[in-house]
Amino acid sequence: MNRRGFIRGAAGAGLALGAGLPSLCGRLAALGAVPNLSRVEARYYAKLPDREIECRLCPRLCRLGDKERGYCGVRENIDGTYYTLVYGKACSLNYDPIEKKPFFHVLPGTSALSMATAGCNVNCRFCQNWEISQARPEQIDHFDLLPEAAAARAAETGCSSIAYTYTEPTVFFEYMYDTAVRAKRKGVRNVVVTGGHINQEPLADLLAVVDAVKVDLKGFTQEFYKEYVRGELKPVLEAIRAVAKSKAWLEIVYLVIPTLNDRMDLIREMARWVKNEAGAHVPVHFSRFLPMYLVKNLPPTPVSTLEAARRTALEEGLRFVYVGNVPGHEGESTFCPGCGNVAIRRFGYRIEAVRLKKGTCEKCGTPIPGIWA
Amino acid sequence: MAASRVVIIKAGNLWTSTGAVDPAVIAKMFARGFALLTGERDDAGALSSLFRPDDRVGIKVNTIGGKAISTRPEVAMSLAGWLSRSGLQEKNLIIWDRTTRELSDAGYTTSAGRSGIKVFGTDADGVGYEAGLVSHLGVGSLFSKIQTEFATASISLAILKDHGLAGVTAGMKNYFGAIHNPNKYHDFHCNPFVAEVFDAPPVKTRHRLTVLDALVVQFHKGPSYHARWAAKFGGLIFSLDPVAADSVGWTVIERLRKAAGLPTLKDEGRAPEYLATAERMGLGRADPASIETIEETIA
Repeated sequence: MNRRGFIRGAAGAGLALGAGLPSLCGRLAALGAVPNLSRVEARYYAKLPDREIECRLCPRLCRLGDKERGYCGVRENIDGTYYTLVYGKACSLNYDPIEKKPFFHVLPGTSALSMATAGCNVNCRFCQNWEISQARPEQIDHFDLLPEAAAARAAETGCSSIAYTYTEPTVFFEYMYDTAVRAKRKGVRNVVVTGGHINQEPLADLLAVVDAVKVDLKGFTQEFYKEYVRGELKPVLEAIRAVAKSKAWLEIVYLVIPTLNDRMDLIREMARWVKNEAGAHVPVHFSRFLPMYLVKNLPPTPVSTLEAARRTALEEGLRFVYVGNVPGHEGESTFCPGCGNVAIRRFGYRIEAVRLKKGTCEKCGTPIPGIWA
Repeated sequence: MAASRVVIIKAGNLWTSTGAVDPAVIAKMFARGFALLTGERDDAGALSSLFRPDDRVGIKVNTIGGKAISTRPEVAMSLAGWLSRSGLQEKNLIIWDRTTRELSDAGYTTSAGRSGIKVFGTDADGVGYEAGLVSHLGVGSLFSKIQTEFATASISLAILKDHGLAGVTAGMKNYFGAIHNPNKYHDFHCNPFVAEVFDAPPVKTRHRLTVLDALVVQFHKGPSYHARWAAKFGGLIFSLDPVAADSVGWTVIERLRKAAGLPTLKDEGRAPEYLATAERMGLGRADPASIETIEETIA
């Protein structure tokens, strides 16, 4: 199912409201219809007096009265108990090359069953998937896909992994976690694509059941996070540290947006931070911005800027630095830090050559870290 | 510049012996409120000062609080009744909110026939949100087609409540129910988002009138219902100035809080600063000194 175009009503159900008040005769059955939402008790929240709750899943710590939803739009306090409304309610399901996530050091050339529900706990003004990430679940088409069924689908269709992606998987944590547990039992790996806005306790629990995490580091100043992400930088950096210390594989994407977060001194600072706090082996992808959602007044990122960012990060000692969203660019390929030869050649999402032998460079034997089998 | 007028109408015999509201009294409150608000002698004159005869009027209610603390159906139907008696066609009136389910839960009888007053939500089959994103100041939202396509004029018929984040939820914040992503606009005590959503063209170009249902006011721990902090204020608040209406609503909440021995919203760090923002944006008057408040109790 395509990830776009799900806003209900936007599809044009056919009523011309402007020509006078619509007659919904014959459609009365739809009035008052109960939306197909789950009512599964959320994890990571505290019950407070007066039927209030405090959500402790993400750094927002939403404090909500009865009948209120969190910032994510997919969790609701119903009479003092907090529920996830999207458990088993997938809005997107695709078979994607894992390179699309992007994961460049995880099972190259394999397919990831990629799934999402509605909702997000930030509101990036340049979001590529805002039609689903910024919607409430009842506003977009979705379908029932319980964890066991999702895991079985991945296994039966030959997917090496399930990717929790497109929106922010933190907001469908319970669904993701339970699916990951079941997938793991079937020998299917789990990879998470996240903005990293998650508290340490749920993150630690998640890291016990997933194999790889890609964090979108959207900028490197709090001002940028406040203005363009509607979030906080600090918890994202803490999440990156936690993933780096765990057994899960970590990759980082930095979407380079002209004039907003493309200062080379900041990129240098960020690269230095990644090297010191996460490790020089952590892949960093500098991805090209395309005008989207609420930032349509800026041009696509010049390739030269991406190349400069890549150069800067390599100068700082990061060993695997990529250029993203520029199909055919040499920065898409993995170069052996030992001999400089191409270890994995890519073109877009396609793998053209893998020159690895048991996780080492076929030519010089230098270890190339990642999940290769 | 003349002060913005806000009219508060109360009624001594509003409540029946069963604790319900008397619709006949509500109707009188509307008639008196519109007369004082517009200065017109009769209902037809009052109506024609507000609407064109062919206007399609969306009456946006707030029903998130369920039966206990939503815009009352008796109030909404009474307003619709006044509009139709005074010159608008019933078929051109819709009482609406985000979802039909919320309307039902708040006690509304939903209706979507060709004739008569309509009552349904944006989620009704075939309605929904506009496909085009409205990007306005800090807001990026899809607006309900009821607001954008049906309504040529809009009334915010909101419930007056304390709000844990915004401080006060009243007529302006009621339009959060006209967008698909209100949960994204509660940061920073909803400031400046309440003002910015109101300032967006789908609202600003259609809004004609604010009426606050202040029959029962949740003056603390809102927006959820808590009987302990809900008071029978017994009033309807009218204004053509959306900011002034809400500012007066705020004073009502403070009055009730003071009577209950509660600190002010400012003392609790959640004064509705979005009102001052709205004033700076030219949407209306927030300063009590520039608001003419007329309070009257009818028999």
